[in-house]
Amino acid sequence: MRLVQRTATLTSSARFSGWGTRLTATAVALLLIYLVVVPLVLLGISSVRPTGFPLEPGFTLGNFSKVFLAGDFGALLWTTVVFALGSTVLAMVLGTGLAWLVERTDLPGRGVFRVLVILPMATPPVLLAIGWAMLLSPRTGFFNLLLRDGLGLGTAPFNVYSVPGMIFVEALALVPTAFLFLSPAFRNMDPSLEEAALASGASNWRLIRKVLLPLLWPALAACAVFLLIVCFVVFDIPGTLGMPARIYVLSTRIFYLTADSPTGVPLYGQVSALGTFFLLILAVLGYAYFRFTRESQRYRTISGKGFRLRQSPLGAWRWPAFGAVTLYFLLAVVAPLAILTWASFMPYQTRPNLASLSLATLDNHLDFLRNARLMTASLNSLTVAIVSATAVALLSLVVSWLVVRQRPRGATLIDNLAFTPIAIPGVMLGVAVVYVYLSLDQMFPVYGTIWILVIAYVTHYLSFGSRLANGVMVQIHPELEEAARASGAGGFRVLARITAPLVWPAVAAIWIWVLAHAMRELSTALMLSSRNNTVLPTLLWDYWTGGEPTRAATVGVWLVFALACILALWHVLSTRSASRDA
Amino acid sequence: MLEVIQLRKRYDRNDAQAFAVREVSFSVQSGEFFTLLGPSGCGKTTTLRSIAGLEMPDEGEIRIAGETVFSSAGGVAVPVNRRDIAMVFQSYAIWPHMTVGENVSFPLEALGVPSAEAARRVARALEMVGLAAFRDRPAPMLSGGQQQRVALARAFVKEARVLLLDEPLSNLDAKLREQMRVELRDLQRRVGTTTIYVTHDQEEAMSLSDRVAVMNDGRVVEVAAPRALYLRPRTRFAAQFVGQADLLDCTVVEMRDESCVVDTPLGRLRASASTPAGMGATASGEGATQASGAGAASLLIRPEHIELHANAQSAPNEVRGVIERVLFSGRIVEYVVKAGDQRVRVQGTSRAMFETGQSVVMELPPEHCVVVSA
Repeated sequence: MRLVQRTATLTSSARFSGWGTRLTATAVALLLIYLVVVPLVLLGISSVRPTGFPLEPGFTLGNFSKVFLAGDFGALLWTTVVFALGSTVLAMVLGTGLAWLVERTDLPGRGVFRVLVILPMATPPVLLAIGWAMLLSPRTGFFNLLLRDGLGLGTAPFNVYSVPGMIFVEALALVPTAFLFLSPAFRNMDPSLEEAALASGASNWRLIRKVLLPLLWPALAACAVFLLIVCFVVFDIPGTLGMPARIYVLSTRIFYLTADSPTGVPLYGQVSALGTFFLLILAVLGYAYFRFTRESQRYRTISGKGFRLRQSPLGAWRWPAFGAVTLYFLLAVVAPLAILTWASFMPYQTRPNLASLSLATLDNHLDFLRNARLMTASLNSLTVAIVSATAVALLSLVVSWLVVRQRPRGATLIDNLAFTPIAIPGVMLGVAVVYVYLSLDQMFPVYGTIWILVIAYVTHYLSFGSRLANGVMVQIHPELEEAARASGAGGFRVLARITAPLVWPAVAAIWIWVLAHAMRELSTALMLSSRNNTVLPTLLWDYWTGGEPTRAATVGVWLVFALACILALWHVLSTRSASRDA
Repeated sequence: MLEVIQLRKRYDRNDAQAFAVREVSFSVQSGEFFTLLGPSGCGKTTTLRSIAGLEMPDEGEIRIAGETVFSSAGGVAVPVNRRDIAMVFQSYAIWPHMTVGENVSFPLEALGVPSAEAARRVARALEMVGLAAFRDRPAPMLSGGQQQRVALARAFVKEARVLLLDEPLSNLDAKLREQMRVELRDLQRRVGTTTIYVTHDQEEAMSLSDRVAVMNDGRVVEVAAPRALYLRPRTRFAAQFVGQADLLDCTVVEMRDESCVVDTPLGRLRASASTPAGMGATASGEGATQASGAGAASLLIRPEHIELHANAQSAPNEVRGVIERVLFSGRIVEYVVKAGDQRVRVQGTSRAMFETGQSVVMELPPEHCVVVSA
């Protein structure tokens, strides 16, 4: 009956809501349709236009035939699948191992590792890729040279500009995501289930096969599908490591057809045809993800009552396991950032040793602080990030207020529209937004300015912001607002004195998260970049692909520094709000 | 002071029969402590929230101190913040980002009370609930009982004509609940505010209220003072909802002025028929049917009103039986007595004890045998 009463409340508040709410809901719905649906529709239309421009006349299936019947389409698809599957499998193996070691064994320093795991997430993937290119490039890679000279080999043993190289770096970047997905599953598993199996005389192997795997299966499957989606859409690492060796995956091919096409003109028609195909794969993967997460709800192993975790003693393997986990952090964070820092102090790429230390110079960093182009890029980055973060935070607040509190007609539509962009790859969102503003150039002359970046980022990050805001809004008991109204406060006073202060920590968290991600976002920025809207990541990319690795490294070091400051700020804010909740 | 007339509220706009509240009417006198009592989902909270203005009823009228605050016919719906009410919520709804003092002064701030007077009134309200020393403490650093008191102070400080309380004690542990019950009653008596109280706990309703309205399935089943409600309920639902009760099917064979004769599975018994003097007025609620007419009805006898004797006493309404089960719990002793095919629960004290299998005589005092509508 409690449920019934809740419904009664909802319908009544909907009736109370009146014109203000309905007007807001309509405005938000129209804005979301404009931001999310219009670009995707234009993308679809453009794929059947001979010129590739959605508003120009004509109909053709030529773009599809050019893309799908091209001789290398099979190879492209094959590379994409191998890269995505390979990265997923490797990240899953490493992530599962890390989660098990940290959550369920007596690994030394488990608590520290649990905190450190966000470090690789804070490193922009493009920097990780550049760092590894400096370590494992066949000609100048530091590790390669060490191994070649140390072992007296004729040639370098590794080539990072290859599919295995891409898989290796991508997996390093994705391990924390897998860890965050799986560690709750390990942590919440009721040990009495394992003890019951052991008490029934099961061997360790039987225990893993018959009890642990079936229990973990939904979490593992959901995690794997999520990683697969990420690997299908990711641009940074295949872009940095694959494109120089002419190894293409779907996202880099889209970029290639736009930016470096053989004719010199962006082949928008083919890009759209490829994009439409891309969306189809993502729809299938998205559906699978939805199914698996629903399943894992059903299998929930949280029992509510407190229990002590069964921790497997590692015995003699304790320190080797510690070494392996440490090695991961060295490979995923320390080594690439160290080589980048080294390079940023060098006049040209050198082999790190004492001899070249004498070449050390501050020129790159002084140049960074003096160079007008760099200053403009920093300023652009900051402006884009701050404006996007503010817009996303405010819009998320309004969306979740409508979706969770007011529930006017169309609330579900608004909720879904706000969430959809999570499944649109950055490269494709970039292309789609280009179509909109090339078509609307007369009305909104934003093409080629930083504002087109803001529009794309707001669309993309709203999916995250509205999720977080919904979660917080649900937790704020409606009686807190009702008590204010019953105390005699009008609508505006309730919002200003009660609702806004209560949701403020969530708004701050959304703001900083978007700020950090907008600062490092590369793929969308590349698709939308022009001379006047260079941001730090695109500049870094230009330097790197233009053969100026030390300048790229300098930009990277400053970018990491800025991100670290932002993340530290987030940490302070979130711990403060957490301590207040407790 | 408060009038609720023919209130109706659907909880599903698309289902004409899905009523949360149907045809609820009652009126509350100035200074009265009036309780809406019923199981969860009976519509008591919806009724209270409609009075507050947090819910929009579909039909009916609500008047507070003579002012119509809601009327479906007149198209009137005064918003919550302009009704002369104060409310205490089940979750207390203490704002966590404010201090105790800020919480309590918020209603005065919203009403635009000058700050000097507001400070005085806040101090007085906090004193009243015994939290004068806690004014500057952040609200989250309070225990459950203290939060409850802050919620009360915040409601009292507004000095509204009607105070609405939505299960305010249900989140407290048993001991604290009992203590707060006494405090709440004293406070209300002292301040004299007209109070509407919602609860599903019959003991709470009995010990606090001047009058209780028993609700079920969106209707007011019965309205009466606590004693009348317990001793002379008119409906089967009210009889069973307030206290333990064995109900026997019965047929009225003879009606007199103050008593009647009924046939029951225990044989022919004498029962009381109408409200005796000194029990307070009993107003029949909407939907309550008159029980005293002839025909199918139930006979209510509460277990603590039956007296057990070893031998016949030549008193009226004596029934022979055998003790079938004894449950000794110290202060009270509960028996199940079998008389013919009928089992009857009897509550005794440790003063006189009976053993399983013992033959006994049950004395059912006629003034405690009450005929209720089936």
